[in-house]
Amino acid sequence: MPFGKHTPVPKRDKISVEYLVRQIQKSVNIEIEACASAASCDNRFVTEQELHRPGLALTGYVEHFTYQRIQILGNTECDFLMEMPPEKQREAFSNLVNHNVPVIFLTNGNSIGEPLMKMADEAGIPIFRSPIETTRFMFLLRDFLDDQFALQTVVHASMVDVYGIGILIAGKSGIGKSEVALDLVERGHRLVADDVVIITKKNNILIAAATEMSKHFMEIRGLGIVDVMSMFGIRSVRYQKRVEVVVDLYLWDQEEHVNRTGLDHEKVSILDVNVPIIHLPITPGKNITVIAEVIAMNHLLSHYGYDAAKAFQEKLRKRIDDKSGSNKGIRRAIDYFEGDFE
Amino acid sequence: MLMKKVVVKNAAGLHARPSSMLVQLASKFESEFHIHMYGYRINAKSILGVMTLAAECGAELELELDGPDEKKAMKAIVDLFESGFSEMSKEKYR
Repeated sequence: MPFGKHTPVPKRDKISVEYLVRQIQKSVNIEIEACASAASCDNRFVTEQELHRPGLALTGYVEHFTYQRIQILGNTECDFLMEMPPEKQREAFSNLVNHNVPVIFLTNGNSIGEPLMKMADEAGIPIFRSPIETTRFMFLLRDFLDDQFALQTVVHASMVDVYGIGILIAGKSGIGKSEVALDLVERGHRLVADDVVIITKKNNILIAAATEMSKHFMEIRGLGIVDVMSMFGIRSVRYQKRVEVVVDLYLWDQEEHVNRTGLDHEKVSILDVNVPIIHLPITPGKNITVIAEVIAMNHLLSHYGYDAAKAFQEKLRKRIDDKSGSNKGIRRAIDYFEGDFE
Repeated sequence: MLMKKVVVKNAAGLHARPSSMLVQLASKFESEFHIHMYGYRINAKSILGVMTLAAECGAELELELDGPDEKKAMKAIVDLFESGFSEMSKEKYR
C-alpha cells in the first residue's frame, strides 16, 4: 500500500436548498425559476442524493413515502393533479406538503396552478420550475448530487496528467515526487496537484483534484514553494483528472521482487476502486520522468488493445513451438537489407 | 501508534514559519506523522499539507505518530506546540 491507510473523509451530510439551486443554475447550467416559498431555501436541507417521483403519494398511499428526498413532478404527476376537480387536487397535494419535503421541482415547464402553490408557500416548501425534460433533468441533478455526497479521501502524492493519462505518483516523503512532477510539467504535461491530493469517488471512478489552498503550488526541497501556474502558464495545470495509474516510487532494495516482464498487472484499492499500480524502484541514473511518460503511453496502448508484454509472450510461445528448419538459433532482425552502406 | 490532541497557541496560527518548523522537526524522526483535522488526515511531513489546514489560534489538531521513535517524536512535537512555536500567545499579543 503506497499511501498507508487512507481513511475516507466524513461524508457531507446535508446541503441547503439555496446552495443546491444556486449551484445547479451556475455550474450545471440548468434554467430554473422559483415558484413558491423561495425565502425558506436557506433552512431547508437535502440529505440524500436519491430523487423521488411521488406518484403514489399523490394518490394517497404514503406508507413508504420517501419524503426526505427531492421530489420531482413531471408530466405524469402534473397531468394527474390538473385533471382532478380543485377540491381533490388540494387533498392529493396535501399528501406532499404535510410531509417535511425539502424541495419540489416541476420539470418540462409544467405548472400546478395558484392554489397548490399557495399550499406549498404556507408549508414553507420551495417549488422550482425547469423547462428541461424530466429524465434529463433528473440525470443532471443526480449527477450533481452524486458529486456533492461523494466519498472522498486525501492522499500524500503528486498528480499529473501525462498524455491524457492521470498518473498518481506516490512514495515516502522526500523520495522526489514533486521533482518528478515538476520535470513532467517542464516537458509539457499538466499538473493537477502536488503533495495534497483529494480523491473523489464518483460513478465508481476516482477523480483527483488539488485543495483550494494548495492548488498549483509545489514545494521543492531546498528551494521552497513555487507557483507552477504563473511559472509555466495556464497550459501546465488542470483542475481535476481521473486517476488511471498509480506509480509507487521506492528506494531500490536487492531483496525486493521487481516486475521484469510486465505480464502481472497489480492493482491497488483506493476507496474500493481498483487502479493499476506500478512499483518503480529508484536507482542512480534512472530518469523517472521518461519512465512516467512510457507508463502513460503503455497504458494508452493497452487501452487501445495492444499489450506489449502479451505480444512478446505470444511470439516467444510460437517460436518455442516451431523450431523446424531455419527457425533454430538466434537470428538477426533482418536477414539482408540491400544497399545499406554509408 | 500514538495519538494526541494539541491546541494551536500562537496568535497568528499555523502560518508559513511555524509550519516549516513543524515539518523540519518531524522530518528528523523516522516515524510517520499525520495530523487529523476537519476529519481529514494530512501527511504532516509535507509543508503544503500542513499549510492546507490553515489552522488558526485555538484550533484543535490531533497528532498521529507511527514508527520506532514515535514516543520521542511525540514529545518533541507537543513541546513545539506548547511553546507556541516561540511566538507570542494571544494574551501577550494584546
